[in-house]
Amino acid sequence: MRPEIWLAALTDELRRHGIGPDLASHVVAEAAAHLRDSGEAPLRSFGPPAAYAAAVADSVGGPAGRASVRRPGPVRLKATSISKGYARRPVLSGVSLTVRAGQVAAVVGANGSGKSTFLRICAGLTSTDAGQVEIFGTLGYCPQAGGTADFLRADEHFALIGAGRGLRRSEAVRTGVDQAGALDWHPGDAQARHLSGGTRQKLNLVLAGLGDPDVLLLDEPYQGFDRGTYLDFWHEVWRWRDAGKAIVVVTHLLNQLDRVDVVLDLSASTSGAAA
Amino acid sequence: MDQDRRAQWLRGVLDLCVLALLARGDSYGYEVAQSLQAAGLGAIQGGTLYPVLLRLQRSGLVTVYWQEGGGGPARKYYRISEAGHSVLADATTQWAAFAGGVGAILHERTAR
Repeated sequence: MRPEIWLAALTDELRRHGIGPDLASHVVAEAAAHLRDSGEAPLRSFGPPAAYAAAVADSVGGPAGRASVRRPGPVRLKATSISKGYARRPVLSGVSLTVRAGQVAAVVGANGSGKSTFLRICAGLTSTDAGQVEIFGTLGYCPQAGGTADFLRADEHFALIGAGRGLRRSEAVRTGVDQAGALDWHPGDAQARHLSGGTRQKLNLVLAGLGDPDVLLLDEPYQGFDRGTYLDFWHEVWRWRDAGKAIVVVTHLLNQLDRVDVVLDLSASTSGAAA
Repeated sequence: MDQDRRAQWLRGVLDLCVLALLARGDSYGYEVAQSLQAAGLGAIQGGTLYPVLLRLQRSGLVTVYWQEGGGGPARKYYRISEAGHSVLADATTQWAAFAGGVGAILHERTAR
C-alpha cells in the first residue's frame, strides 16, 4: 500500500475510533514523518490502518466518557407496564421504559425475549395486551430487515419517506445522501433489491433519521455491516444523542453497554423493568 | 532469540527505555526507534512505539512540541517532564532489583 493511501485510510479509521480531528491530524503527521524518515512500508511499520487506529484509541483511553455528562432533557418516550403474549405464551409482562431527550437506551436480552416486539409496540406497529406507550415528538423507526421497496432506488426512498416528514424532494435526497456518506455508503442508481443486506440496512437507518425525528427506534440496524461501518453506526448514535434525540437501540452486542444511559434487559425476567 | 519472549520482555520495559532515552535529550519517534535498535533491542515498529509515546504523553511523563525538520514537514518532538524523571528514577531502582533477582536465579541454576 502506498503511504498516501495508507495515511488517508488511517485518517478515516481514527475518526471511526472516535479520535478528535486535532489529535488525528497529529497522529497522521507523525506517522507520515516516520514513514518518510525510515522509508519503511506503512503496513510493515504500522500494520493495517484499522489496527493502528485502535491502538491509538487505546492509548488515549478511547472516546472520552461517552455516557452523557449533560442533564437529560424532557421525556420523549414513556412505555408503562407493557404486556404482550402470543397464543397464551407471554412475551412481555409489565415492561416499562422511560427515555429522555439526549439519552440512549439499549434493549438487550436473549433471542425470543421480546426485544423486537417491544420496539414494534413503541413504534405503534404492534398492539399491546396491556400498558401504554407515550411518544412526545416525532418518531423514526429502523426495522431489523425489510422496510425498503424492492423496485425503488435509494434517492426515491429518500424522496418518498422525506415527503411523509414534510421535506421537499431535493432536500430529502440531499440529506439522505449526506447521511449515507456518514455510513461510508454512496448511493448509486441501483434499485433496493440489488443492494446487499448490509447496504439495505444502511438505507433503512438513513430513512429512520430523515426529517430529524425526536425519537429514534433502531432494531439491530447494523446486521451485515462490516466492523468499520459498525463503528460509524455508533458514531451516528452518539451524534444523534448529542443533538438531543431520544434513541432506543435493540442490541445483542454488549460491548457498547457501558456507554449508553439506560439498559432494559428483557432476559432478566419477563417482568423486567428499566434500570 | 525467541520472538514471542522478546516481545513480552519489551512490553514490560519499552516505556522505561523510551523515557531513559528522552532523559538524554529531546527526540522524535524515528530517532528513538533507531536508538532502541542501536542499543540491541531489535527493530521497534512504529505501530508499537507511537502508542507508547502517546501513553507517556497522556500520563504527563513527557511533553511534546512540533519543530520543522531538515527540509521536510514538522516532526513531533518529545521531552521528558519532571514527573517523567521521577518515575524513571523509581523504576530504574526497581528494575535493578528485579533484574538482579532474575539473574541470580538463572545463574544459580546454570552453576549447579
